[in-house]
Amino acid sequence: MCGIALTAECIYFVSDPHGLYPLLEATENNDIYAAAWIGIFVGFALFALSILGIIGIIKSDRTLLLVYIILMLITFAFEMASCITAATHRDFFTPNLFLKQMLEKYQKTEPANDNDKWMIEGVTKTWNKLMLQNHCCGVLGPSDWQEYTSAFRDTHNDADYPWPRQCCAMNAQGIPINLDGCKLGVPGYYNSNGCYDAISGPVNTHAWGVAWFGFAILCWTFCVLLGTMFYWSGIEY
Amino acid sequence: VDRVRYVPFLTKTPMLEGLTTGSTFVLEQPRCVFDKYRNADIWLVVALENTTATFNNSVAPGTAERAFQNFPNRAPAYMTLNATLANYPCSEQRGNITVLRVGSETSCARDKERPTCNGPLPGPGPYQVKFLALEGSEPVAETFWSLPIMLRTAKSPNSISTTDGGHSAGMIALTTILSILFAILLAGLVAMFVFWGSDACGGSSTFSKPEAVSVRRYNTHHVYDQPAARL
Repeated sequence: MCGIALTAECIYFVSDPHGLYPLLEATENNDIYAAAWIGIFVGFALFALSILGIIGIIKSDRTLLLVYIILMLITFAFEMASCITAATHRDFFTPNLFLKQMLEKYQKTEPANDNDKWMIEGVTKTWNKLMLQNHCCGVLGPSDWQEYTSAFRDTHNDADYPWPRQCCAMNAQGIPINLDGCKLGVPGYYNSNGCYDAISGPVNTHAWGVAWFGFAILCWTFCVLLGTMFYWSGIEY
Repeated sequence: VDRVRYVPFLTKTPMLEGLTTGSTFVLEQPRCVFDKYRNADIWLVVALENTTATFNNSVAPGTAERAFQNFPNRAPAYMTLNATLANYPCSEQRGNITVLRVGSETSCARDKERPTCNGPLPGPGPYQVKFLALEGSEPVAETFWSLPIMLRTAKSPNSISTTDGGHSAGMIALTTILSILFAILLAGLVAMFVFWGSDACGGSSTFSKPEAVSVRRYNTHHVYDQPAARL
């Protein structure tokens, strides 16, 4: 049962409902997704192995139970790796990481190579969607665009674009309500919040979900395996 | 030239995010300041802080010495945002914001035909501004110079450090506990193999297979019969 639950949870994370995967890809640090993929397979393996274990106990067959124990240990090791990876990589995702990535890649027009080009597209599309849907601007606020030079600033002069147009309050057609108000920074005509909360929320849930849920399952698996080992040593030939 | 008692200042209400950017700043309009000069043209003078002492009011706007395109190298100051009293009415209008955004015209920044362009400022400053009222080409009134206005300078994103996130306590706890559990399981597996080799455990009979042997009851009726036959 735990296996099914783990599989379901990891499938949810891999499906990326918040559309943040391009940001993680661009950090070249997307091991959190690797951890979730491992979680899917481990969950499935746990489920299959549990059937094997139940058969082994009904028949009190030593060999079958031995096979069960060894395979479970291997699965345990994989799941352990997945949990630790998820937890470790979650610690990388500081505001500074996303800020630097946004400044260096958002709307950059001169990609260094194909890999860069694909990362730039991902980052630009994700940020545009983020800023429009969550009514936010930059990582910590619109001042991010003023405090630092950026790839965006290279192609958009400061007087016309103190911050990207996506930071402006939009009407239903996707046009800024008042462009001058947005450029001046009049409250109500631009998005004054930063987007970090909208990013870190889902990423944290994802990382902690994979890590701690996997940890709980592993604790339970540990007990089950210990019990199985004792049972095994008590079976007569 | 009359000195009007007014110091130009950056807009205070409402709070503007873009009050100063890398190349623009926002001034409050000089309302109720030049009421006595109904026929005058009111110009904004922008100069670098170190040239305000030697500013000459008589130099006409639109000349090379006051052209935006020549600022700051060949023109010590430039004049822009030409307006009349009609643009700065004294009546209090609620709900409108009364600002002047200095540096907003990007289209004419390089156009020598537009020397009075309100173009983006070329550097971080510090700048000082004042308003000058001209009738024809005669200066008739001026305000004080503003306080020095410093614009924002942008740092490079390379200065952002991305490596100072330590490892959180949760992650360390998780790794430690999982490692210990795995070690115990491995030890258990090794113990299992050790005991498999030797029969020392004996094996408690509680888990033994159910024997498919039935016990037959010996009927010793012949023993009972003999004493009955003797008697």
